[in-house]
Amino acid sequence: MSDLDRQIEQLKKCEPLKESEVKALCLKAMEILVEESNVQRVDAPVTICGDIHGQFYDMKELFKVGGDCPKTNYLFLGDFVDRGFYSVETFLLLLALKVRYPDRITLIRGNHESRQITQVYGFYDECLRKYGSVNVWRYCTEIFDYLSLSALIENKIFSVHGGLSPAISTLDQIRTIDRKQEVPHDGAMCDLLWSDPEDIVDGWGLSPRGAGFLFGGSVVTSFNHTNSIDYICRAHQLVMEGYKWMFNNQIVTVWSAPNYCYRCGNVAAILELDENLNKQFRVFDAAPQESRGTPAKKPAPDYFL
Amino acid sequence: MVFNYSLLFLVKPIARYQRVKVYRLNDDGKWDDQGTGHVTVDYLEMIAYVIIQRSEELALFVFDEEDNETLLSHRISPDDIYRKQEDTIISWRDSEYCTDLALSFQENTGCSYIWEHICKVQRNMHFNSLNHETFHTMNNELRELPAVELSTLPIILKIVTESSLADQMQLTALILNDQAFFQKLMKLFRICEDLENVDGLHMIFKIVKGIIMLNSPQVFEKIFGDELIIDIIGSLEYDPFVPQVQQYRKFLKEHAVFKEVIPFKNPVVLSKIHQTYRVGYLKDVVLARVLDEATVASLNSIIHSNNAIVISLLKDDSTFIQELFARLRSPTTSAESKKNLVYFLHEFCSLSKSLQMGQQLPIFRDLMNEGIVDIITDALQSEDKKIVLMGTDILILFLNQDPSLLRSYVVRQEENLLLGLLVKGMITDFGEDMHCQFLEILRSLLDSVTFTGAQRDTIVETFYEKHLGQLIDVIILSCPHDEASTGKLAGTAGRVESQNSTKPEILLNICELLCFCVVHHPYRIKCNFLLNNAIDKVLLLTQRREKYLVAAAVRFVRTILSRHDEHLISHFVKYSLLKSIVDAFVANGNRYNVLNSAVLELFEYIRKENLKLLVKHIVDSFWNQLVKFEHLPSLQSFKVKYKQFLENCGPETNVNAPDPRKRIDERALEKEEEDYFNEESDEEDTTSASHPQKVQSQPVLSNGVAVSCPSSRPRSGGLVDYDDEDDEDYRPPPRKQTETSEDDEGSMESLGLKRKLTPKEKEPGLAKKQRLGKSSKPRDSVFAALCSTLSQAVLPSKKTANAMHLSTQSGEENHIEKESGSPRSCDNKSPNEGNLREKESPRNCSEYLHSPSDNRQLSGEDPRSLLPSKSSPEMVVNGS
Repeated sequence: MSDLDRQIEQLKKCEPLKESEVKALCLKAMEILVEESNVQRVDAPVTICGDIHGQFYDMKELFKVGGDCPKTNYLFLGDFVDRGFYSVETFLLLLALKVRYPDRITLIRGNHESRQITQVYGFYDECLRKYGSVNVWRYCTEIFDYLSLSALIENKIFSVHGGLSPAISTLDQIRTIDRKQEVPHDGAMCDLLWSDPEDIVDGWGLSPRGAGFLFGGSVVTSFNHTNSIDYICRAHQLVMEGYKWMFNNQIVTVWSAPNYCYRCGNVAAILELDENLNKQFRVFDAAPQESRGTPAKKPAPDYFL
Repeated sequence: MVFNYSLLFLVKPIARYQRVKVYRLNDDGKWDDQGTGHVTVDYLEMIAYVIIQRSEELALFVFDEEDNETLLSHRISPDDIYRKQEDTIISWRDSEYCTDLALSFQENTGCSYIWEHICKVQRNMHFNSLNHETFHTMNNELRELPAVELSTLPIILKIVTESSLADQMQLTALILNDQAFFQKLMKLFRICEDLENVDGLHMIFKIVKGIIMLNSPQVFEKIFGDELIIDIIGSLEYDPFVPQVQQYRKFLKEHAVFKEVIPFKNPVVLSKIHQTYRVGYLKDVVLARVLDEATVASLNSIIHSNNAIVISLLKDDSTFIQELFARLRSPTTSAESKKNLVYFLHEFCSLSKSLQMGQQLPIFRDLMNEGIVDIITDALQSEDKKIVLMGTDILILFLNQDPSLLRSYVVRQEENLLLGLLVKGMITDFGEDMHCQFLEILRSLLDSVTFTGAQRDTIVETFYEKHLGQLIDVIILSCPHDEASTGKLAGTAGRVESQNSTKPEILLNICELLCFCVVHHPYRIKCNFLLNNAIDKVLLLTQRREKYLVAAAVRFVRTILSRHDEHLISHFVKYSLLKSIVDAFVANGNRYNVLNSAVLELFEYIRKENLKLLVKHIVDSFWNQLVKFEHLPSLQSFKVKYKQFLENCGPETNVNAPDPRKRIDERALEKEEEDYFNEESDEEDTTSASHPQKVQSQPVLSNGVAVSCPSSRPRSGGLVDYDDEDDEDYRPPPRKQTETSEDDEGSMESLGLKRKLTPKEKEPGLAKKQRLGKSSKPRDSVFAALCSTLSQAVLPSKKTANAMHLSTQSGEENHIEKESGSPRSCDNKSPNEGNLREKESPRNCSEYLHSPSDNRQLSGEDPRSLLPSKSSPEMVVNGS
């Protein structure tokens, strides 16, 4: 069994890797991710997953429902970290799978894959707590910069974490973003990761999130028409039913963190597309309490104070 | 159904004293032998782990010793029906069998054992029924706790786990009233453990857990005391939901090592240190999964205040500190104990954060005065890489506390030894260890945004004089290159050995630091470095196999160009420095990856910023290479821009003309209006809605749907890009980044003047129609493209966006809120926005259409430093 396979097995048990292993993994991942495009091409069949937010055991449920990684082709729409208890294990498992099976799993960037956001919403603190230093956080956030911004499935389904940007009307325009940077506070890259579709907005509106925009049905219609795509698949917003169509099936939100923050009481969903792009949503619940293993935290054996 | 594993009183292995014969009185008045078996007391109708709901459910069982058949099951009655005869016989009148039954024990002990338990069960039943009443009829008022005994555990458990919130207060009070409650409970725990009474242990687990969850500080004070805490943790090893018994105490006793580098004289210190570790262990390991947030917070605060107490006691113990530093300095101290001392120092500094803010700085100052940096300087020279890294971690703690402390020291230190060590650390291969903290520390020392004045100048001076060359040497030695550049290493000769195998992450860090320097010390780096043939050396990175290094080199160039420095631009042209980038781009071929995007972004930037000299240079020198990528829109527009420059070369002489926009723009606006806008933008005070300009309104169908036929929409061409300019205002970096720059004004201005056209050949005919009478330049097709996919874009001015930022607190939480509430109706927008929609949407649309990627930060600097004023709401709450 290779080191990587062993690490994947270890991560599947929700045990984080050693710092040195994280470093090696990140460097390998960097080489792979740097070759991906801002609009990463993805072949069907593929299973699309929304936000995970460090809910490791719920992600294991997801894999139970959707199938294991190399067997099922996955596309994750970002927000792997923050809020849940196991951001480190969650992201490292996904990253290890990416390195192991680069063509069977696509990871794109969410607004939480950011230095600033993770310092507020948990990932930073979790790294500090689990490793005693923030070096792992530094490496992971460096990797975040290399994550692709969006994906295009069989030229027909545009997938992105947040939504559209007024600066982007054609997919080609996404190409000229040098994505290797912290998520900016505005502009196209920011919008792709932050925007939300909104029923009552026609055209573009201010986002209450303070970054990105709200966009209405006409924007989506126009975008889909211009780029000859069938619909947009995105994540970024909690939907109690796990998924939600909007604007006459022109855009769908997929949310994959059941019982979000361990208290929202929502179900989660993934979207399975077969080779003909036929859709099947699979809805699943949070992992039962029993299946949540003992916490992986290993206390430092030595203490001075 | 009986689950033997949960037998309350079962003592394993089955002992001889449980062996009984069962007799039944027949109608003839004779005792019939029913068989021989083993007797136990157990729950009837057992459901594992559920507490007895009714006392009657406890029963006597006798299982046949041969086939394990149930010979007898008898519900223990609360009534006084049992008789004990001759020390070996228990008999009673059984209502279910309607006859007398008797158990004849093989041994006296067995008989008395079962007899005692029958009595106990009966007592419990009485108490329990009483208690039941108390519980339910007395308005849930809890009066007293039963004595802590094995037999009362179920009752205590019931009280602990089922009490209502109001009862919990009372329960806490009752527990605290009984001075010996926990002592008794723990004694019971030890007994159960000795007897392997699994049920008892499970109950005690649940009781202890439940009591901890009461989240009472007084209770914590008791159970976390030295006397009890180990037993408490021990009792939590028996989680009924976890199949194996945990080994917490074993870990604490055998694995956790308390290292007392210098003997603590004060027993309080010692006790607190152990307690802190154990409470942390309880929180993070033992009960990590079950604690609620409030309890976790309480435990954290115990840990926090313990840390504060320990640190305070130690810092005031002057002999302790003196001894610590004496040992650290002493040449006779062994390497091992020195290592431990450094580790201790790290923990000491890191725990100082537990003190109140005002008390922290004095400690760091004191440590500074004691000479901690000398110690760290030593540590950084250690052979042991772990010690080196620990040293850097301490430095980071100092920087987080107050960067000027360390800076002032670095300035004073002879030969700036520390700075050199940090640079050396950054370019040292740490094998599998992470060492990104060196870059972090260097950045902090060289930072010009938060740090100005003589101190910084000295550090920066030293860095440029002594160390920058070192960094470049690493690049030169680790990249494929021709002989010419090998001959002349930039840095101090001979100090850097050949590092052809330099780890890519080191090169990446160097490149990042260089970008940082370009932003923070634009003048120094320009004069001492960039114009001194250093750029082409950095660009050797484009020769590296690792594509992220090539892309990093592109970013370096991009960062320099965002300085808008004429000299540098001329320098690029004069020495054809972009050649290696073009080569790398061409070699990358049609692969759409980060490198491809980075170079295209660079071209876009040059085009949008109207860096005329570069546009001309690139097309003149490299177009034959680039022509095969002509299909890319970015390159098309680049060529278009080039042609515009050629055609417009009339009065224009300056490379960075103050207003390049005018040259390329023959849009509808009058010149003076344009000037007006430009002024506005320079003042950074533009609100788009405040300009009642001649804006052609965009035709919108009555149903509100944007006209979908792309280029049929007339475009209000001549509008100025002031949204973009606002964009610039809104973006935090430029001001700060450029504050040391003399051409600040110029660069701001030209930053503002940007984002022109994104060309796309679409229906040029239509576009030409619109442009009729204005110009028939090739650029028209570009406008057509801009119009091509206009949706009904409504964009608020960034001004309003700013206001939003201030008012919204945590946008992220809208995840949840959003489901119920709707944010803002379009129609309720501020007058500004309404105005915008009607009058200005065409411009806004087009603006945003051709400003795809201008949002780059000026460089690869750490965005956290840019956080403050204009961050998004999620960022607003960022306290770090």
